[in-house]
Formats: sequence, structure tokens, C-alpha cells
Amino acid sequence: MKRTPIIALAVLALLTASGAAQGPPTYRVAPLWPQPLPEHYVLGSVTGVAVDAQDHVWVTHRGADSLEGNEKGMMATPKTSVLCCTAAPFILEFDTAGKLLSHFGGPGQGYQWPQSPGSLTVDAKGNVWVAGAGLEPAPAGGRGRATGSNANPDGPEPAARGRGADAAAAPAAGRGRGPAAPAGPPDAHVLKFARDGKFLLQIGTPGKMEGPDSQTTLNRPAAVAVDAGANEVFVADSGNHRVVVFNSETGAYKRHWGAYGEKPTAAGGGAYDPNAAPARQFRDVTCIEIAKDGMVYVCDRTSNRIQVFQKDGKFVKEGIVSKNTMGATVSGQFGVVSSWGSAWDIAFSSDPQQRYVFVADGHDKKVIILQRDTMAEVGGFGAGGRLPGQFLAVGSIAVDSRGNAYTGEQHHGKRVQKWTPASGR
Amino acid sequence: MRTRNVLVGSSLIALVAALGIAQQQLERTASAQSKAAVQAPRFEVDPMWPKPMPNHWLLGNTIGVGIDSRDHVYIIHRGATLEEKEVYASANPPASECCLPAPPVLEFDAEGNFVKGWGGPGAGYEWPASNHGITPDSKGNLWIGGNGASDNHILKFTRDGKFVKQFGFAWANSGSNDTWAFSRVAKVSLDEAANEAYVADGYGNKRVAVLDMETGKVKRFWGAYGNKPDDTNLGNYNPGAPPVQQFRNPVHCAEPSNDGNVYVCDRPNDRIQVFTKAGKFVKEAFVAKNTRGDGSVWDIAFSKDPQQKYMYMADGANEKIRVFDRESLTELTSFGDGGRQPGQFYAVHSIAVDSKGNLYTTETYRGQRLQKFVYKGLAPVTKQNQGTVWPTRTSTH
Repeated sequence: MKRTPIIALAVLALLTASGAAQGPPTYRVAPLWPQPLPEHYVLGSVTGVAVDAQDHVWVTHRGADSLEGNEKGMMATPKTSVLCCTAAPFILEFDTAGKLLSHFGGPGQGYQWPQSPGSLTVDAKGNVWVAGAGLEPAPAGGRGRATGSNANPDGPEPAARGRGADAAAAPAAGRGRGPAAPAGPPDAHVLKFARDGKFLLQIGTPGKMEGPDSQTTLNRPAAVAVDAGANEVFVADSGNHRVVVFNSETGAYKRHWGAYGEKPTAAGGGAYDPNAAPARQFRDVTCIEIAKDGMVYVCDRTSNRIQVFQKDGKFVKEGIVSKNTMGATVSGQFGVVSSWGSAWDIAFSSDPQQRYVFVADGHDKKVIILQRDTMAEVGGFGAGGRLPGQFLAVGSIAVDSRGNAYTGEQHHGKRVQKWTPASGR
Repeated sequence: MRTRNVLVGSSLIALVAALGIAQQQLERTASAQSKAAVQAPRFEVDPMWPKPMPNHWLLGNTIGVGIDSRDHVYIIHRGATLEEKEVYASANPPASECCLPAPPVLEFDAEGNFVKGWGGPGAGYEWPASNHGITPDSKGNLWIGGNGASDNHILKFTRDGKFVKQFGFAWANSGSNDTWAFSRVAKVSLDEAANEAYVADGYGNKRVAVLDMETGKVKRFWGAYGNKPDDTNLGNYNPGAPPVQQFRNPVHCAEPSNDGNVYVCDRPNDRIQVFTKAGKFVKEAFVAKNTRGDGSVWDIAFSKDPQQKYMYMADGANEKIRVFDRESLTELTSFGDGGRQPGQFYAVHSIAVDSKGNLYTTETYRGQRLQKFVYKGLAPVTKQNQGTVWPTRTSTH
């Protein structure tokens, strides 16, 4: 096969400036990962990717409500196709070779499955945590949303947009439609499952949002991180503009904080202006990760920044990523489209020092690599598109113990891609 | 047609099945050394083809593909179907480097290198509101249809984008029995030896129309079974009902074969109908008859051998390429599945074959890709449905 040089060429084209031998890791896409799914499953908008202690890759996605009618013909009544396709289960586990190992998810006894899952994480005990990130636009009960802030950029779109233009004369049954919002109270909770799907814990209650001082409620949380040693779960409580910490076994409240470690307000950071002084409040908190050195990293997506804290909430530093990325600047036929800033999700490099931070930038459709100590941009990979190695709204990223990176795409991307280190670093 | 009553319905299915069995027995005899009953062309996707386009360009609904005599690949797509969150660079001021809609017509060489992009409104012609189908001729021209509400015309450009001729006019049509106007043309296919163009007409009309390639005059036209076309609304397709005697919209392809027949995609009716070039009905085959909505028969291309022994069909509802024995209309095998990975499809819409037998597909809706499937020679059929066809010798890193 002549594949290797072809891939190498493509990778060269994809990589952005990455420095010389001392530079950050460079990556190339593994175009044939994961292996094709069974049962004619297709992925919806991928909202979370995580790697567990065995280097298994866990994926969550929004399922049928983010798929258009003409790609889920097996789910239609009557079926428009008996061959293709049906939404994959919400939570999928792959091995490092991309083989689907297990899956679970969806409504069940004792808990409320989210309208829209956000990110997921797998803790050191192998339990799987999923945030109930909720749909856009913000539900009426959601307080304090800043204009242009957006906890889930893949919310429903006008139906006309989702309809395939080719179907102009086709019967309605075959038309793709924009996803419809399922009924029910808006998400305001996180869920904990054993890795076999057994329900363990729910924190927060859908529809119950009591603001950023609440010790029992959340507001469309986007992501979760677990400090197994301390039995603590850290929640990126996006709609409340805060980080909130609970006991990871009991769900009991422990502490919370806002941007710069200050008290969070319901108003949040307001509209983003790259020329204004940095907001003292979070706009939306879309990721949370705990580094090996105990530092807690938080994405304030619409603010184009990553803030770093001690586990007790003391502010340490912040890094700015693509400062001029604007929110809500694009308007047109279908109204103002939220633009969501640059810092959607992060992952740390696999070296013991975790020298690099990988930032999924779904706005610019690439992964940016920061040097962790300086938070300076030193590299990146990917570009906009639907080919292997390209992205649409890349919104999640995880790194395994061997340095492989995995990315998940929202919106029409709906893929998980694997990236392997291109050099022998 | 005089003979249609004996050919339709279950008797036809029985006939097709009988032909298929005869074909299989023939193959058995022919390949005494092989235990496999049937051989069929085998394909593998090339996951790294084409190469990334320049200028942060993206594809919208990719709605046509054609190959010229140099094995260059031409596609046509609709940049306006991209969503604003995909094309921030087209905002004013640009909201990101990424991305922009690519020009409507794009040319790639056989290696997948981007060669040229052009298209859109200009002086002297009416660019379609919703372009549809692209077909190169042997003289270096490209024929383009359109299925927008106002698209009742066909455009001819040089492959470099110079306007040559327009046949018909936007907004002007008077139904399926009109001798000069079209209605929302899906695809134009060429019989250059006869100087004739076969028009899948289309999303508005329910007919095949044959044109003089030079003058654009409609020389003849026909509906399903060779009937006089009738534009009566047939309602939605019902797989349990007897086959309708007219095409449903869209009539999505009309491909002349080397042996003098024309193969017509009657997409929502889940059938392919075969005619003589004069329009006399020859036979039909039903494909995944329970497919509703968009239907199963989207586009076809013939294999590159002089006999055109095989026929490849894009089925954008079931997300497969189906491989047929052309003569018997027997489906031998199929490949592909729904999804966004290499070799998978979301609304595989158009298909073309190059001189080496490689297949190229484009996807509409939110598929929005051009993919290449490398011809790997004939192989015994071991699976009716091969699923996603990835390279057999490869690594994921």
C-alpha cells in the first residue's frame, strides 16, 4: 500500500506551524477509526469524549434528536428504509483499536436522562459521569444567561435549514428536518453510572434551577471532573457561571466559585467584547479538567479563556485563546447565530509533566496546542471540513496514555476522530 | 406500451429472478475453478482522497459528479446550503479564517489534487437557483441541470468555466409534453455518436427528453413504460400498491448504454426502467421496494468494460452502492452504510466511473462529500451486503 506517504502528505498539509524538534507534539489523523458501528448505528452530535484507565474511549452524543429525518429512516413510522439508519445508543465504549465494546444510555429507573447530554468523564473507579447540558435556546426557567452565551451550540435549528435542498419535490416522509426538542423539563443535573450502565447517582433535578448560590441545584451543567482521592466531583455549572464541587459518592455539596475564584452572579459575564477588560464573571463554563499537579482547569468558552484554580477554588492564572473570536456576531437569513468562542474543551498531553494543553476550538474548527506553563499557543492541528483530519464543530477532546488524541464533533460534524502522534516524541 | 401488461408486477419480478438464476448458472459454468457462483467488481474506499481544498473551502450539498477523458473529476455543489456556523469566514467582517463555500463547480485530477473552481451567476446565462448534475462531454464541455423552482433549463460551459450555451429558460415550462422547455432537470447524459442528450426531466416534469446536442430541440420524449407523460400528482409512493404507470418526481437519471438502451432512475418508485433509445419500454427492476420517501434509485453508472457488464447504483436512502449485472438487472452485491466515516454515506446522490474502473460518489443533504472507491478487480461475491468497504491492508496509524 502507498497509504503511508499519502497520509503523511495530508498531515503535512493539515498541521499548522509547529516549531522544530523541540516543539510541541504533531499529530496525524487515523482515518479508519473507530471501526464501523453495528446495527446501522449512526452518531448524532458528539458532545463528549473521554478516555478511561484502560485507554478505552467513551463517547456520548445527542442521539436521534440531533439527526435529521433522512438519516434515521429505520426510526421513522413507517420506516423509510430498513437498511439505514438508527441512532446509536447514547454512551459508547471503544477499545484503542476502535472496536465498539459496550453501550448504554437513555431513560431508566431512578434517574432522568438528559434532553441533551453534554460532556462525559470516566473516573478512576471506572464510573461514567454525564452532564445534562440541555438544549438551546435557553429554557425560560434558566436564569442569568448572558446574551450570546450558549451551553450547547448544537441546539435545534430552523427546520428549513435541516431539510435537504435536494428533496424539494420528494414526499415529506423523506425529508430531513432539523432536530425537534424533546418535551420535558430542561436539564439541570449530572448523572453517574457504573461502566456497565447501572445507575448510581443523580445530582440536581431537571427544571429546578435556583441560581449560583444553590447547594442542591444546577443549571445546564456542561462537564464533570472527578478527584477520586478526595471523593469529589467538580461540575462545570455553565448556566450558573460557576464551578461547584460535590461529594462524588453522596452528592453532598462542598463548595463553589466563579471566575477568578469570586462569588458567581446570575448575570454572568455579559456580552463578550475583546477590547473590554476581562469579565470578572464566567460567561459559560464548558469544560473542567484536573491536572496531575492538582490544578483545576476551566473553559470559559465565550470569553475565549481558560482559568486555572487550586482545588479549593483559589484562582491561579488564566490563558487567553484566540482573543478576537466573537460571540453572536453573525446574523443573516436565519437570525443571529450564536458564536461560541474558542475554548470548548481541553485535554492534557500524556507526558508526566502534562506540558501541553489541547484546546478543542469548535469555532475555528481546529485543535490548538498550548504550552501548559505559559498558556502560550505553540501548535495545533485540523482544519474545517468533512474529510478525515478535518473538523466541523470540534467540541470535545481527550488524550490516552500513549498520547493518542480523540476528538468529537457537534453540529453536522457528528464524528469521533483519532489522532496519533506523528513523531517519536 | 403494448406489452407492458405482461411485463409488470409479479410476472416481471419472476422474469428478472429467472434471468438472474440463468446468469448465475452461466457464471458457474464459466468459472469452473471457482466455487463461488458469482463474481462482481470489488471496491475499497480511498480515505485520503481527495486532498484538502485550498482557501478554507467547504462543500455544500454535492449534487453531481462526472469524469472527463483525462480522468479529471468534476463535481457540482450548492454552497448556499452550508450553514452560517460552517462558513464564518463569509461573515462581514469575517468571524473566523474558517470557512468559505467553495465555488459551485470544482475539478480534481485523478490524484485528488484540486485543479480549478468556478461557477455562479454571470452574463449571458441564468445560473440555476439549485444546480443539479454535471456531465462532461468528450470535447471538454460540461452540461449542468438544476432543480430549483425556477430551473427549467440546461447550461453548457467549457470545463474552464466559459459559458457556451443555454437550453431553455428559467421560469418557463409547460409540462411534460412540451417540446422545447424542461422542468427542473436532474441530470443530462450524452450519446455523442448520435449527437443526442438524454435529459432526466426531472423534478418538475415526469419524462425522459432527448435533445439534439447542438440545437437543443427536443427530438422525442416519453414517460414510464414508454407512456405519454402525464403530470397528474400521484401522491406518495406506496410499496403495497401496484406499480404506477407514470414516473414520480424526480426522474433522476437517464443513461444510454453502449448496446443501445437507456436506463432511467425512477427514484421515488424504487425502480429502474430500461428503454430502447427510441423510447420503447424493455424491462424494469425494483430495488428495495419498501423504501419510502426519497426512494432507492438515485443515480447509476456503468462499468468501464466495452460490454458494460455491470451497473452501479447510488441508493441515497439506504446509503449503499448496489452492484448489478446489467443485462439481467440482478443485484449481485452492495457496499456502504450510513455514517460520516470514509466509505460511509449520508445521502449518496451521484456516481461516476473513471477509465480505470474507479468509482466516485457525491453526497447531498449533510453528507456533502466527494469520495473515491478504488476498483480492486473482480472477486467472488461472498456477501450480499458488504457494509463499509475499508482498505484490506492498512493500519489505523
